[in-house]
Amino acid sequence: MKRSLGFVLAVAWGMALPSPAAAGLQIFSCEPEWAALARDVGGEKVNAFSATHARQDPHHIRARPSLIAKIRRADLVFCSGADLEVGWLPLLMRRGARSGVQPGATGYLMAAEHVPVLEKPTLVDRSLGDVHPGGNPHVHLDPRNLAILSKELSRRLIQLDPPNTVYYRNRLDAFQRDWRTAMDGWKSRVTKLSGLPVIVHHKSFTYLINWIGLKEVATLEVKPGIPPTASHLNNLLLSARSQKVKVILRTPYDPAEASVWLASKLGIAALMLPYTVDKEAPPGALARLFDLTVALLEKAHAEP
Amino acid sequence: MPTLFIRQMTVIVIVSGLAMTPQAMAADAVDTRTLLQEIQELKKRYERRTAELEKKLKKLEQNQSKQAGKAPSSSASVRNIKDNSFNPSIGVILNGRASNFTRGTSEIAGFGVGEEGERGSEGLSLGESELNFSANVDDKFYGSMTAAIVREDGTDKVELEEAYMETLPGAGLPDGARAKAGRALWTFGYLNEHHAHGDDFADRPLTNRVYLNAAFNDDGVEMSYVLPTDYYAEIGGGVFRGDDFPGGGSVSGLGAWSAYARTGGDIGDNQSWRLGIYTLQSDANSRASNEDAVTFVGQSNLYAADLRYTMAPTGDATKQEIIFQTELMRRDDDGTYNDADAGTGTLNYDESSFGWYAQAIYKFAPAWRIGARYSRLHAADTPAGFAGSALDSEGHDPETYSVMADWTNSEFGRFRLQYNREKLDKGDEDNQFIFQYVMSLGAHGAHPY
Repeated sequence: MKRSLGFVLAVAWGMALPSPAAAGLQIFSCEPEWAALARDVGGEKVNAFSATHARQDPHHIRARPSLIAKIRRADLVFCSGADLEVGWLPLLMRRGARSGVQPGATGYLMAAEHVPVLEKPTLVDRSLGDVHPGGNPHVHLDPRNLAILSKELSRRLIQLDPPNTVYYRNRLDAFQRDWRTAMDGWKSRVTKLSGLPVIVHHKSFTYLINWIGLKEVATLEVKPGIPPTASHLNNLLLSARSQKVKVILRTPYDPAEASVWLASKLGIAALMLPYTVDKEAPPGALARLFDLTVALLEKAHAEP
Repeated sequence: MPTLFIRQMTVIVIVSGLAMTPQAMAADAVDTRTLLQEIQELKKRYERRTAELEKKLKKLEQNQSKQAGKAPSSSASVRNIKDNSFNPSIGVILNGRASNFTRGTSEIAGFGVGEEGERGSEGLSLGESELNFSANVDDKFYGSMTAAIVREDGTDKVELEEAYMETLPGAGLPDGARAKAGRALWTFGYLNEHHAHGDDFADRPLTNRVYLNAAFNDDGVEMSYVLPTDYYAEIGGGVFRGDDFPGGGSVSGLGAWSAYARTGGDIGDNQSWRLGIYTLQSDANSRASNEDAVTFVGQSNLYAADLRYTMAPTGDATKQEIIFQTELMRRDDDGTYNDADAGTGTLNYDESSFGWYAQAIYKFAPAWRIGARYSRLHAADTPAGFAGSALDSEGHDPETYSVMADWTNSEFGRFRLQYNREKLDKGDEDNQFIFQYVMSLGAHGAHPY
């Protein structure tokens, strides 16, 4: 009995020692885009982890044990906010019980709290589908928002890790310079896309559409979060024809069937945009995300 | 701003007070004059600034009243959301079922079963309708209350399922530590800490029915600690009143304690698992079962292990998912049993029994799931004197096969059809069909893994 107790204590002690791999600020991001931004702005001084990957729907994630362990040791929680993660993040926060990353703390950064949020509903009722009372949370697809957030993130990193202030400042300056140049490039390419009528699967591209000036004609989902139905798609067929919709957009985690069916009926393209980056994406991935997104839209626009 | 102004004025008053002391009068007249001039200038400057500030304040006030005047014309519902934002979240679970059983009775051979552990009622009935209120109390505490309204013996009764407070991170406990006090579905195996409406089957497996009387939710306190490790590891334990099954009739009010350890992690991007071991040790002063016919007095110790594994083939669990779950439980009863129906009288009893279940759920389309479950109990030996009583299994080990299919319209509404083949004693088998709906209204907190 005594020996087994000793063994248990030894194991517990072994587990309690932090592993050496965990150097630098531990950043828990809910979606891959925020991990990527953290790597862009924090460089080698941060260790960014993404709770979800590009093929997962960030609305519905299980509060799995590994995420509790990650929150438990996080220095910064970086998420979209606006209730996107309401089904799982608050539970993780309570379970992980890390005081430095709770709402209001420096270590709690919600993107939607720092950029202008679109589509704030005036009426909230479950019969309207899965509406977010805080507005549309998919804010990262407007590059201007990323510029704002890189600054806020850098400010937080400096607060959390003052000895590396100079490093973070230089890193932010470099990122902002590159980002501005890149944004000018994208802007000049997307001006000709302005006014292009599109249909989207879910309201995942609102910020992209707003930035480019595309025209969102309809969503394939009957209501947010409620899958497309045959009758809804048939109605869309008529309105899409009359409005000359050019392309149907979806994310990698939206099911393809509805957009492929409607696109084939209309003789237009069903386009899967990357929506976000790889979970382990190296720095620079966000710029490549916009490069690719703009290129795909250009291609769809050029098609007859 | 005003406080700053007052402070600066005080400084001026003190300075001018000093300037008028006899010592100052005796000082060089030129010095005094320049000092006075400076003070005058200072005074003027402050007067100017005060005027500016007052102007600004007025402007602000005007703007504010303008906005306030505008507010009613903007959407009223926006304001409503804010009006009740300090109220607790309210959630309601509606739960109804239609059941058909081929056997009239359902006794589990070799075990005394509590009221909640019995088979549900036949025909049309409401399940437990739950009403939940929860909110953060302040920056340090969280509170939650769940009342279940159930039909028992022809009348509707309110059962307080949970009423607890819990520390929030920031309550001053070390990182990773939590304390919970009150009445709650305590940590013991997988199912016990979950509300039944979130279960994958319409009824609980034999292990939880027999050993926990569906769920252990005694009054007590529980502490838990998540270790600061790369993978998930949590330890915890609690002390309880000892009134709830497997305890009962607590005299000291401190009749049970528990301890547990859990670990878990991910395998790649799309699989995760959790493993736990648990114990719950109760000093049962009087544990009634089989409609108060069977009474146990003594020490009742439970041990359990659970494993849960989830796998989403594409990583997106909303479309396709496989869940595997199993729990093993063992009970050591050391004390006396009395079966009044069989007229055994109070006899010594020191035996162990164990049971387990395993279930698999397959979500093959976003709205559709199918599942299968097997649960089995291994009854204890029958000591001399208990032959023919409820504790006599006659060498039979109770078992149940279950299959189910459910359809989920949204995450808030679900219908389920389940078939059970129960063989709980030496008699005929019981074929059961259960059709069930579970609807969730309003706020509905996330379910733990």
